[in-house]
Amino acid sequence: MAPALTGSMGFLRAPVDGATWRGVAQLAVGAVWLLTFGLAVWVCVAVSLALVPVLGAGLPLLALSLLLARGFAATERARLAVTTGVAVRAPQPPVAERPGWWPAMWAVLRDTRAWAATAYAFVATVLVSLACWTVVVLAGVALAAAGFPLYGRGTDLAASLGAPWSLTVAGALGAAVVLGWAAAVVAQYGSYLTVRLAVSLLGPSAAAEAGVRARAAERAARVAEATAHGAQERAAVLAQTRAAALEAADAERRRIERDLHDGAQQRLVALGVDLGVARRAADRDPAAAVAALGHAHDEVKATLAELRDLVRGIHPAVLTDRGLDAALSALAARSPVPVRVDTAGDLATAGPPAQAAAYFVVAEALTNVAKHADAARVHVTAAVVPAADGAPPRLRVVVADDGRGGAAAAPGSGLAGLRGRVGALDGTFDLDSPTGGGTRLTVEVPCAS
Amino acid sequence: MRIVIAEDSVLLLDGLTRLLTAEGHVVEGHRTADATVRALTAPDAALPDLLVTDVRMPPSHTDEGLRAAVHLRSLHPRLPVLVLSQYVEQRYASELFAAGARALGYVLKDRVADVDMFLTAADRVARGGTVVDPEVVTQIIARTRSTDLDRLTRREREVLELMAEGRSNSGIAERLVVGLPAVEKHVTSILDKLGLPPAPDDHRRVLAVLRWMEQNGDRS
Repeated sequence: MAPALTGSMGFLRAPVDGATWRGVAQLAVGAVWLLTFGLAVWVCVAVSLALVPVLGAGLPLLALSLLLARGFAATERARLAVTTGVAVRAPQPPVAERPGWWPAMWAVLRDTRAWAATAYAFVATVLVSLACWTVVVLAGVALAAAGFPLYGRGTDLAASLGAPWSLTVAGALGAAVVLGWAAAVVAQYGSYLTVRLAVSLLGPSAAAEAGVRARAAERAARVAEATAHGAQERAAVLAQTRAAALEAADAERRRIERDLHDGAQQRLVALGVDLGVARRAADRDPAAAVAALGHAHDEVKATLAELRDLVRGIHPAVLTDRGLDAALSALAARSPVPVRVDTAGDLATAGPPAQAAAYFVVAEALTNVAKHADAARVHVTAAVVPAADGAPPRLRVVVADDGRGGAAAAPGSGLAGLRGRVGALDGTFDLDSPTGGGTRLTVEVPCAS
Repeated sequence: MRIVIAEDSVLLLDGLTRLLTAEGHVVEGHRTADATVRALTAPDAALPDLLVTDVRMPPSHTDEGLRAAVHLRSLHPRLPVLVLSQYVEQRYASELFAAGARALGYVLKDRVADVDMFLTAADRVARGGTVVDPEVVTQIIARTRSTDLDRLTRREREVLELMAEGRSNSGIAERLVVGLPAVEKHVTSILDKLGLPPAPDDHRRVLAVLRWMEQNGDRS
């Protein structure tokens, strides 16, 4: 609490300033308290200190006195907090290194802050008493001088001054103002010095403060390091999933190229051959020409079916037109193994990439079930689940069968491709497939992806 | 004539078999390059009049067919081979033609759909001629850096492409609808401008042209 006397206006207002009255109150209460408890503390310490070399019994007494000093420090901190509003932090007393009364006593004896409190008891008693009495005397004399014009006329004092009455009145009033001011200044500075003294002697030591700050800085550094480490790991994971996504996309393109080359293109070439045969045979062997045309017709139908399958593999039209629910039903209907589909929540709230990922997960899983699992039934569930701690909702798809298990997302497999696709959406991919215990594939992707 | 086909696609193998059988040929089909090589290298095997082989075949689906063709040609340099390729690859063409261009053809698989062209190519190769797919020639010319090409007139470039495809002078004349003497004049001019020796037969000429293009090709 700095005095309000800095700045010219503050100085002029000093006698009527709130800080002055707070200072007076603090000094008055402090004077009473310090002259009783404070005096008792440092007398106790001084006496037990004096008894140490004489009787040796002084050491326990000294420890008790220091405990008393600690209690006194606590009351002083509380008193200053109430009267001045300045909160002085309590120091951490040293802890005994071992159990037992001797280490405990030793811990008290080497508590430098208890010794500082003792010093405070002495210095503050002197300071506060002096300040308090000075304020009282100055204020009293100022009051007397202010009242002098009322009662001083014709007194010996007035006569002894030997000045005309009017000049005496002016002088008395002037003195009252100056003395009142002085009382205000002493009250504010006295209170200010008490607080400064309390901060330096009753608070934690500078070394302890530095230690606390250092520990806080260390904690902050550890947190920052952990954050940086987390970010680094996240970056590594993202780089990995990005690479996996690129790889998955690449594998997908290769698959489409192979499918087109080995499928539709071959069929079209064969179709061309058939039509050529038909044309060449048209004149000389109409029956052969008709047979070739029949071949060509079958070829066209097969090509169309193959193209339809291929296009569905790239992006299923039913997903765009009628949503994930209908698309999953269509997948279930095509599966040779009986499939039950359950959905929960509004699947339409999931974004197109999330829905497409869910669709292809189920498509691939059902293909695998049909090919490898030897299962009697499959259960597909799709649900929009609200994520914990306020994170955005996620689309969860589970494909569970009762087949032979033992599935693995081997590199280059369809499952590995899906894992890459899911990873690219920041999703999770969990394959649980104990041998003989069925397969359960759980995939979650953020709806917003 | 007797024709052996090496083709892994059942569809195409069936189609080609029907086509060639309808044309009065005797056809024997194989689904892998290995099977083809085994059949043609058996002690009592009679060489066919023509081998038609796909480049991309099992097990690795890369260039098994081409390897088989090169291998069989090294055993029987006179065996007529028509190679069908899924796509144009200059490296394949160079490998194939490295040992000579006589009775050798390299065409895109899609050309098979153009039945007349395919039958003509098969016939030409079986009779000892050379067929190079126009696509391959275009690609090689596009990659040829030599400024010598710039000195050719447009007509001469057309003639050069047809020469590279393996056509004879009369074939070129027919294709461009010009007289034979005009084609002969263009050919002499082209060979002169490119610094190639005059070659009497068509397949030697193809080889010279292809080799020249390859030497001047941008291999980067």
